Amino acid sequence: MSDRTNLLRRALPVGGLLLALLVPFYLSGFWLLLGVMVMAAAIGAIGLNLLVGTAGQLSLAHAFFLAVGAYAYCWFAGAPGPGGGGITLTGLELPPLLAAVLAVATAGAAGLLFSPVAGRVRGLYLGLASLALVFLGQHLLFNLSSVTGGFNGRSVPELSVLGFELTGRDPELTLLGVPVGDRERQWYVALVCVVVAYVFARRVLAGRPGRALVLMRENETAAGVVGVPVSRYKAAAFVLSSMYAGLAGVLLAQAFQRVVPEYFGLVLSVEYLAMIVIGGLGSVTGAVLGAAFVTGLPSLLSHYSGLLTFLAEPGTSGVDPAVAARLVFGVAIVAVILLEQGGLVALGRRLRPAPRPPAGAAGQGEPGPPPDPASHPVLPPQDMTTASS
Amino acid sequence: MTRLLELLAVGLSLGMLYALIAMGFVIIYKGTRVVNFAQGSLLALGAYAVARIAPSAGFWAAAAAGIVITVAGALLIRFLLARARGHDHMALAIATIGVDVVLTTELTRRIGPDVLSMLDPWGAATVRLGGVTVPQARIAAMAVAVVVLGLLLALFRYTGWGVAMRAASADAEAASLMGIRLGRVATVSWMIGGALAAGAGVFMSTFPSAGLDSHSSTIALAAIPAIILGGLDSTHGAIVGGVTVGMAKALTAGYGSELGFLGAGFGDVMPYVLMVAVLMWRPSGLFGTREFIRV
Amino acid sequence: MSEDTILRVDGVTVRFGGVTALDGVSFEVARGSVHAVIGPNGAGKSSCFNVLSGVYRPVAGSVRYAGRELVGTAPHRIAALGVARAFQNLALAGDQSVAENLMVARHHLTRAGFVATGLRLRSARNEERRHRERVREIAGFFELGDRWDVPVGLLSYGERKRVELARALAAEPELLLLDEPVAGMNHHESWAMARQIRRARDELGVTVLLIEHDMPMVMALADRVTVLDFGRRIADGTPAEVSADPEVIRAYLGSDEPASGAAPSDGTTTAEHV
Repeated sequence: MSDRTNLLRRALPVGGLLLALLVPFYLSGFWLLLGVMVMAAAIGAIGLNLLVGTAGQLSLAHAFFLAVGAYAYCWFAGAPGPGGGGITLTGLELPPLLAAVLAVATAGAAGLLFSPVAGRVRGLYLGLASLALVFLGQHLLFNLSSVTGGFNGRSVPELSVLGFELTGRDPELTLLGVPVGDRERQWYVALVCVVVAYVFARRVLAGRPGRALVLMRENETAAGVVGVPVSRYKAAAFVLSSMYAGLAGVLLAQAFQRVVPEYFGLVLSVEYLAMIVIGGLGSVTGAVLGAAFVTGLPSLLSHYSGLLTFLAEPGTSGVDPAVAARLVFGVAIVAVILLEQGGLVALGRRLRPAPRPPAGAAGQGEPGPPPDPASHPVLPPQDMTTASS
Repeated sequence: MTRLLELLAVGLSLGMLYALIAMGFVIIYKGTRVVNFAQGSLLALGAYAVARIAPSAGFWAAAAAGIVITVAGALLIRFLLARARGHDHMALAIATIGVDVVLTTELTRRIGPDVLSMLDPWGAATVRLGGVTVPQARIAAMAVAVVVLGLLLALFRYTGWGVAMRAASADAEAASLMGIRLGRVATVSWMIGGALAAGAGVFMSTFPSAGLDSHSSTIALAAIPAIILGGLDSTHGAIVGGVTVGMAKALTAGYGSELGFLGAGFGDVMPYVLMVAVLMWRPSGLFGTREFIRV
Repeated sequence: MSEDTILRVDGVTVRFGGVTALDGVSFEVARGSVHAVIGPNGAGKSSCFNVLSGVYRPVAGSVRYAGRELVGTAPHRIAALGVARAFQNLALAGDQSVAENLMVARHHLTRAGFVATGLRLRSARNEERRHRERVREIAGFFELGDRWDVPVGLLSYGERKRVELARALAAEPELLLLDEPVAGMNHHESWAMARQIRRARDELGVTVLLIEHDMPMVMALADRVTVLDFGRRIADGTPAEVSADPEVIRAYLGSDEPASGAAPSDGTTTAEHV
């Protein structure tokens, strides 16, 4: 790889980050809200991709863990009092930032509770079994009304530190003549979270746990024999993915300002699956791209529905923007599986000039002359467990 | 006592329908190793076709047409999947989720807020059997389910296709070497799976259900606990799982007032709770074969 | 168990439904030796390895390794005890580089968990660097140094076979289980592999237990041979003893295995190659 592409590789994230920092100064509330939703979804998708794409454990329970994160935040941070429909809400009124951390931990704990199943069940079976959590989740959201607010949902307390609202507009703040209101602040909070989530996931994948998860996906038995405690790693991937979902849930709640049960149904789980498939299974960047595509498409279609005359008005029997978006996801999922299993990421890689193929790497069935062992240094036995001290 | 009997009757008839749906999943899985998440939308497709054709052609002709259309839909999925590179079961299952999204979205759009009637000959009529009231449509459903499931079990056991499918399910590679045509096994499996979905779709939309609405495709999801309970690759398991789920649902819903502390509508959740409980105890279901490890 | 016996298999029986894959098989492996398990197809050799690495649980019998019972021990714990295995059907992650495929074998020697890795704590960084250096040496030992960053899926079959063996050695094992290490290789590659196996034993002090079909190779490489047929042990001894055993000859002549290589004369001539 040449120095130039290397430089580009370094410059790209820095440039992107700078751009992301400047966005709130130029774009309107619609775009900022969309951006926050995309970034929140990206965090959820990164988590799901660790589980499905990397560890090879299918899950349709992601909506459940998003709900746990969102509702747990509301309960930890929220005030007790009357909710809609004659319900009396409970709440702990903890500092919002602490509530957010606890909400992510709660999502992880919920994942851990499921680990007797998540740790023992293989691949597709987990996909089917995880449906239980979605339906159980829906049942709880509607019935545990003192916590969830039931059918009417629950309003979301602003995220704040020492009285400064990180996601609201109090106290008022103006930067370089531009008012930094709720959408702007939410943008920055989501940006920080998505960058941390992205970097964390990349490092996990590049390191010891990532290698173990990948081998587990490729050959579970071999992974065990090589030394990976398979059940523990399956459960750990499930818990980590749940925590990512929990964080995504906290952020989505900030964007929506009210959480309602219907949102967290099976359809949402399928949307997250669509994100990682379309973006590229097993790729952190792919999860982000997929989240942007799946979250952005319906909003953009309805935003520009005036120009897109083939789309019908919502509520009529024609193809309205929401229906059109769903049809596109469905077709895209099938197309990715059938045509390009690497998703958007692989497509992007194809458009770039191909890296130099390693010399003779593809020499199928054309082995060179037998290597001469004498020319190689003797390998001394070494005990790493003692050498590491 | 009458109440218990009535609930058991409802549970059994519902359970036989779940068994039909579960059998569709299992047959496709055994024949192709694909978990078909689009089974729900196939079910809705069959019922939708019947509801649209019945007003002009009558119920029986519509039912036949519905089955043909659903089988065609299943075959379309089968040949679509055959184009996939590689045969990663997880990828193929995800592809069927994509198909399900498309089909469900389109059917939901077409059905809209309506509730479509099957125009079936049984209507809302009921029969009293020893003090227990049962809808005629459910009795018809049970009769059809018993005959169809019996035929299928005989088919697995005694016909060449049945042997071929069992061999393919046990070891596709070896079966292929022994001259079993996997493509044909897959085609027949998908056709049977599609037909079962259509049949179940029709009976799920007859009395006491109000008809086919935009949520009907989720009915097949309720059969998923049944296949997990029984084991993904067990035909007998599908029947036992189906009946168990039907019973659990009917009893939990029937005794809803006594089980009020579990929240309203717990009957719909009960099968999933049961499924998780079984999975903790036996990760391959009650009758499923443990995966044979080959390294 | 005597001092220099590293592994003792005693009366191991494995059944699948009605089929008995292993029927009361017993043998001992001496520390520092190269020990071969041979037999016709379906003799139970792979089942035997699956018992040793904890994948199958036998219905009867015991496996003592360095004073520990392996039956009932989970595969990853057996790996941590110092038993590594190279698979016959290459169980590598094709998308990942040679480096990553070898590093995964250090799992039981390393500690960095999700949090330490994700936050790139100093402990995790140091551990990764240290082990990478050592694994790079092992890759060099197997002529894989210039393939370090190449995805395994792009390598030739012979190279992937070497990665498989290198991964087993990267676990720093005391006992190395090799399941047909030269299957599918050409003549040159096979003998290069044989030299590497022998060097691994000589220089690293690893005990090698291998399954192999290539008779000349077994005769040249093994110190001791156990012969299985239909799940039963029919012979056990030095290569010369075993290849003169009438029951072994009958078992091999009765199948399509190449029996010619089992002749002692071949064994002595081919030994010169190593």
